[in-house]
Amino acid sequence: MIKILIVDDEKPICDLIDLNLSAAGYCCQTVQDGGKAIQMIEEGNYDLILLDVMLPGVDGYDIMEYIRPLKVPVIFITARYEVKDRVRGLKLGADDYLVKPFDVVELVARVEAVLRRYHKAENILSVGEITVDVEAHMVWRGKKTVELTNKEFGLLLLFIRNKNVALFRETLYEKVWEGEYSGDSRTVDLHVQRLRKKLGWESCLMTVYKVGYRLEVPQ
Amino acid sequence: MRFSRKLLLCTIIVLALALGFSGFYFVNYVFETSIEREIRQAMEESRILRFAFETAALNAPAKYDILADRTVEEIGHSLENGGSGRRLRISDENRRVIYGSSDFQGDGALLDQTDETVDTWQIFHLGEHYYIRTCMTTGVLDRLLYLETMRDVTEVFRERGLGFLVYRRVTMLMLFLGTFVMHGISSWLTRPIRLLTRATRRMAEGEYDYRARKVSDDEMGQLTMDFNRMANALEDNIAMLEDEIQAREHFVAAFAHELKTPLTAIIGYADMLRSHRLDEEKSFLSANYIYTEGKRLEAMSFRLLEIMVTRHGALELQKISADILFQYIHDMYVNNRTMRFHLKYDPGIVWVEPNLIKSVLINLIDNGCKASEPGSTIEVRGCQRRDSYRFCVRDHGMGIPKEEQEKITQAFYMVDKSRSRSRNGAGLGLALCAEILTLHGSRLEIESEIGKGTCMSFVLRGEGSRGVDGRGREKG
Repeated sequence: MIKILIVDDEKPICDLIDLNLSAAGYCCQTVQDGGKAIQMIEEGNYDLILLDVMLPGVDGYDIMEYIRPLKVPVIFITARYEVKDRVRGLKLGADDYLVKPFDVVELVARVEAVLRRYHKAENILSVGEITVDVEAHMVWRGKKTVELTNKEFGLLLLFIRNKNVALFRETLYEKVWEGEYSGDSRTVDLHVQRLRKKLGWESCLMTVYKVGYRLEVPQ
Repeated sequence: MRFSRKLLLCTIIVLALALGFSGFYFVNYVFETSIEREIRQAMEESRILRFAFETAALNAPAKYDILADRTVEEIGHSLENGGSGRRLRISDENRRVIYGSSDFQGDGALLDQTDETVDTWQIFHLGEHYYIRTCMTTGVLDRLLYLETMRDVTEVFRERGLGFLVYRRVTMLMLFLGTFVMHGISSWLTRPIRLLTRATRRMAEGEYDYRARKVSDDEMGQLTMDFNRMANALEDNIAMLEDEIQAREHFVAAFAHELKTPLTAIIGYADMLRSHRLDEEKSFLSANYIYTEGKRLEAMSFRLLEIMVTRHGALELQKISADILFQYIHDMYVNNRTMRFHLKYDPGIVWVEPNLIKSVLINLIDNGCKASEPGSTIEVRGCQRRDSYRFCVRDHGMGIPKEEQEKITQAFYMVDKSRSRSRNGAGLGLALCAEILTLHGSRLEIESEIGKGTCMSFVLRGEGSRGVDGRGREKG
């Protein structure tokens, strides 16, 4: 199982990330103090570190200097949005940069993207009889290949990564179509319906009343 | 053109004009004097000749008392040979030349202007030679004759030319030397200007600490001093503005950070609540986080508002007994069982805005509580001094590191963020206190030792010290 260390001086935020990543199937540990974080990084063998920049005691950049030789991927989490801060973080070797306040869906997606870059995330995802090869853009239902459009594939990935999570139409639109949601739900609804039909997910891809959709998988 | 060049050029022009005019005048004066002398001599000589001629004419044997042309010719010849280089010409009434020296030149124009009463003279040149020609009449034995003489004055003209030449050379030499000397002088005079210019340029390029060197004690030196004084004032102002901007930037950055952190939590947990099917424990946790983070935002916005109001509000100071303030604190904390409070104060009167000072005291006491372990003592003291009253809040908590002490009155600054956040601190309390105390003409004094505790104190105006602070309006 993939082990993630969350370093943030805010307990609520640590817990928030912990809850969501745990739900996505990662093993998380949280720490609020920079010094303690270094100690944990030394002892534990983590696959990914989420690091807040503003920490009491040891600064996030200092911890970054410490992590770099260990070649552990790092995502910075910070309230600072200035370009120079982002550049500094990325130059120090951070793999991604997440600015507070962030969407949970985005957090999960970025974590997976970074893990995939390090070949730590599985390329093959499967739910029920559906198997997805993320890299190859291939989907199988049982042994039969299913042809999906780009947008349908994006929707599928989003649902699989957020199992049992009600995804709002606006979230779906913003993440898959990458544009501002204008309140017109027909595009999303149409694609979800086609996806349902192609994958035979009529029973598990549920409509959440007035909200959006949820992929229900027995846990 | 550079000022020193202008100065040099002007001086050289003036010098050249002065030398030229004076030289011309001088040489010409000498020439005029010489030529006048020559003319006088020529006339004199002419008069002597006339006398000699008349004498000779009277003495010559004459028929019927008529002066014959021939006699005139003879006399003329003898007169010409009577002196070396003497040239003369004698003409009769009809301007006919009776006798003339061989090299006598000149037309008869002079004769027209001459009569019995008027003697005339004329300067003319022949080739390279200058001559004075004189003309006068002589009446001998009923005949009117014109006697003309010619005198070589080339020497005088040559001297004038030589004078001009010498003078031109001297002028040139003087101008040449003058240029050098004036160049030095103008450079020396304009040096303060150059130094000042350099200073201005360096300052314009952003080197605000550069100062012009003072090299003279005259008006230039004064200007340099004034310039430097202005530069000092500017530098101070710039530094002040930069500090202010930095403080503001820091404030905005800190504000954004402080705002974003609770917002992240609130948005995140709310999102979880609406999209996940959470069990009871997790939904309670989420709801609780939303509540506490919301409270934190609320506290922060109130504090910010207080600071804004304090910063812009007019202050009305009142005379109030210290007793009232301490009684208020006592009432506030009498039900607090987690800490022990120790109040001790001298009776006294202070000039304050009571609500603001109460807020300061409560903030300081709350800070003391946050920094201390439960059960330890917070001491609040009031000491009457001469004309003033000192408040002091002492805790026995963790203390503040030396390097942090200057920064703790900045908005959003927290020495231990996680600890103060867990107690709902926004990092604004001390900023507010500092702001209020500034309005009272006082400031926060911090003494602290790590591990032993902190003493925050401030001094307010007491009784009998009215009018010390001009900012407060007094109300009896």
